[in-house]
Amino acid sequence: MSVSRDDFSIAFRSALLQRGGAQKFSILSLIILAIFIFFLDVYGFTGIKTARSFINDVVFRVSYIASSPSRILPSAGKGLTSHFNLKEENEKLREVIENYKSLDLNLEYLTNENKNLRKVLNAENIINSKDIVLAKVLVDRNSPFLKTIIINKGTQSGIKKGMPVTQNNYLVGRIVDTNYLSSRVLLLTDLNSRIPVTLDGDSSQAILTGSGTKNPKLEYLPEEYEFKEDINVFASGKERIFIPGTPIGKTTEIGEVKLYVDPNQLSFVTVILTRNNKEKF
Amino acid sequence: MARLNLFNKFLNSGPLLLLYYLSISEIDTNLEKTFDIFTFNLPIIIIYFWILKRPLIMGTGHIFVAGLINDVVMGFPLGISSLSYLVVCFFSNYVRNKSVNTTIASDWFTFFIALIFANLLFFSLLNNFSDIVISYSKISYNTFFTLFLFPIFWLLFSLYQANFIGGQDA
Repeated sequence: MSVSRDDFSIAFRSALLQRGGAQKFSILSLIILAIFIFFLDVYGFTGIKTARSFINDVVFRVSYIASSPSRILPSAGKGLTSHFNLKEENEKLREVIENYKSLDLNLEYLTNENKNLRKVLNAENIINSKDIVLAKVLVDRNSPFLKTIIINKGTQSGIKKGMPVTQNNYLVGRIVDTNYLSSRVLLLTDLNSRIPVTLDGDSSQAILTGSGTKNPKLEYLPEEYEFKEDINVFASGKERIFIPGTPIGKTTEIGEVKLYVDPNQLSFVTVILTRNNKEKF
Repeated sequence: MARLNLFNKFLNSGPLLLLYYLSISEIDTNLEKTFDIFTFNLPIIIIYFWILKRPLIMGTGHIFVAGLINDVVMGFPLGISSLSYLVVCFFSNYVRNKSVNTTIASDWFTFFIALIFANLLFFSLLNNFSDIVISYSKISYNTFFTLFLFPIFWLLFSLYQANFIGGQDA
């Protein structure tokens, strides 16, 4: 009995404290160091925040380079396929141009109408081109637990926590972490994402909650609200972070929202430098 | 001869390079885009297998750094992945010290215990000391598929070991 207890304690101690060969450090010392770093980071120690910000900037860029084969290979395949479908593509592009021409005719009229309506509504958040930052997606790691992306613009470009992120004027998410040269965007599909929204039609108010799946859900709708398909969902701007009226997606019959932008297909996004510069988090 | 040595060194470092690459790159073991619930944790399998079979090719310092890099890329609090990797490392070390001859079945069973402890530590720390909310169903799927796929990777890594690294088990 005592021999087996001795065996256990020897094996246990050896597993924790053994060094030599490739094991330059004992597991125990590294566990203590990891716990130390974890608590410094969790409790927001200034030194570790700065260090983390610096490490983030370096690691994100290395990660971008390291991930290039996974980006280049599929696009090279697509390029090759499209090379053989040039004629078809050409016809499609002509159609698109015609479509844009007809849209362009209406644009001026709609812009003027929009300006006038905004004046009537006395909207606070009229943005201009100076208030936006175009950013490239550096890392788009499809984690099972967190739905975030890393963009190549940070505090150097005036980005702060809480700022809304869009693509083609459709809401994508918000900034949750900033470094000097990069930032992390929390996507609308993440479990931690909560956004007040307005539904087109009867202007019902709701909270758009990320569920970790492709389509976020609508919560806190009026009692006995019946879900209908294809109702436009906009940011209500009640939290004073998002621009009121930013389109998000369309409702489905089961109370989910099908987003206008596929969060897995983001290459470039726009960060809106909202005027309320006070950090939200 | 020198070139051959360099090539052998490269082959020996294969698992470590794979661990670093998985930590730093976008390529991960999450195939949610194709199969909704399919996610698994390959770094944990790599660490457990190679610490058990060939501790000389995977230093604990490297495992610690790989964990830190993973935290930065994934947006978790610093040190949390390192802790979970080191727990797996500890279990693997302990099993190596206690057993003379291991089989795929015994490794699978001990890996299950290591995985449970590592994930328990990871998610309880995340739950109690961070604002990040994580779906419990995703954790369960991740744990299940990691455990389920262990024997497949055990065979693949054993083949790699036999063909490119050689020698006896540790």
